Amino acid sequence: MGIITILWEKWAEFKRDFYKITIAAMISPLMYLVIFGMGIQTTSHGEPYLNFLIPGIVAMSSMTGSFSAVAQNMSVQRLYEKALDQVMVSPTPLWQFILGQIIGGSLRGLYAGTIILLLTMPIHTGLIFNGWSFLIMFLNGTVFSTMALVLSFLAKSYTDAPRFTSYIITPMSFLCNTFFSTDQMPGGFRQVVSALPLSQASDMIRSISTGVAPDISGYFILLAYLVVFSAIAVVFIYKKKNL
Amino acid sequence: MIETRNLTKKFNDFTAVDHLNLRIETGEFFGFLGPNGAGKSTTISMMSTVLLPTEGEILIDGKPLNRKDSIGKRKLSVITQEYSMRQDMTMEEVMEYQGRLYFMPKKLRREKTEELFAFAGLEEYRHRIVRHLSGGMKRKLMICRGLMIDPEIMLLDEPTAGMDAISRRQMWNLIRKMRTSGITIFLTTHYIDEAQALCDRVALIDQGKLNVVDTPDNLIHALGKYAVDETDDEMLKTHYFRDRESAIAYLSQTNEDTVMRNSTLEDVFVERIGKKLLKK
Repeated sequence: MGIITILWEKWAEFKRDFYKITIAAMISPLMYLVIFGMGIQTTSHGEPYLNFLIPGIVAMSSMTGSFSAVAQNMSVQRLYEKALDQVMVSPTPLWQFILGQIIGGSLRGLYAGTIILLLTMPIHTGLIFNGWSFLIMFLNGTVFSTMALVLSFLAKSYTDAPRFTSYIITPMSFLCNTFFSTDQMPGGFRQVVSALPLSQASDMIRSISTGVAPDISGYFILLAYLVVFSAIAVVFIYKKKNL
Repeated sequence: MIETRNLTKKFNDFTAVDHLNLRIETGEFFGFLGPNGAGKSTTISMMSTVLLPTEGEILIDGKPLNRKDSIGKRKLSVITQEYSMRQDMTMEEVMEYQGRLYFMPKKLRREKTEELFAFAGLEEYRHRIVRHLSGGMKRKLMICRGLMIDPEIMLLDEPTAGMDAISRRQMWNLIRKMRTSGITIFLTTHYIDEAQALCDRVALIDQGKLNVVDTPDNLIHALGKYAVDETDDEMLKTHYFRDRESAIAYLSQTNEDTVMRNSTLEDVFVERIGKKLLKK
């Protein structure tokens, strides 16, 4: 299966850049935890703010981990190294290449989220993280891997990847239920932001962490994003005239 | 067999390849020559499905080639002008990745890698990262990667671009070895003397349009087998003659510095395409 080939490639990359990937996945989330969670000690709904923050940071890490794993890599492969040409000309079905990228990117997101969970374990917050939390992290990762694929196919130069991060990932990191609840936002804006994938992932992971079953509609919203972005990625790779 | 029918590629208003019709027979060594920007690399990119044609089609053994055509693509191998490979992989990983992309069994991947590294003299560099290789070694690795899959058709886009004289000679020797294996080879190069020595037929392309297709011998014969270079203070003028006697007769009449020689494919190229460019 071509998917295994792409996962092998991602694994080779992960092994080679293990320390870089791991440190990059830790630095920003740790800063947020230290500054907002421990430095500025506040409470939210009678609970320590850290309890609100950790699930949001975990969701955010799975987003940034998966997005950067695919967006930077694919932009460089397509525009700078031209390594995508090797895949395009090969008999590996291109939908398998797409699926391999999505799974590989999601696993990187899952890895980034898991690192944060491990780092926060000694804090004894009493938060609950179970298999459903990991499933949501993975699902969130698939959405952002697929989004990264679509954007990397649209990129005109390999410097576009950091721009996409500035335009999409950074605003989502701050607005989408990570540092404060979207309930505090004004009406129309709240509805838009709440419908974004990171808001859903944060909300669901946070619900699970407090022992409350998440709203099932969150799964469907994430799946809807996944289906739409996957369809666009598949159309691009098969039909885009100048890849 | 590879065939292009009315193959056309436009980038906005610019037509890079204009209704190109070619037919390359199985086992043929075919040269595709033209000046910079003539549409050679664009044609190869379409043959490798990286670019899709604006109009027309490419057929492999009579069947249209497209991005979904795994059977057609399995027959193809491409060596592009750029070093189109992961720069952070080792040489061994590049070969492993190629073998996996073509669904080769593990044992065969290992055997072919060993065989090709020995063939290209790359055994001792197998663990070196591509980014740290010289241009010549990257080119050799690309040839090895291309041959890894035992292709039926090999597309070579400027395989010696940017190489020094020694590396280039080694590369041409590798390509000569490929020629004996019965692979259909489609080659673009600026080294016209090599194309003359290696190619069964050549096509000249200019501004995306096909100028002529024939064997190097026929093209040279049509131009005149003998050339007399006449140098005056300003420039070199070359006159072509069908027979030696006519060339010698011309030599005896002129007072300028003159040299008689055999005409080459490069003369054909300059006469058919270069002069138009020089006039511009």
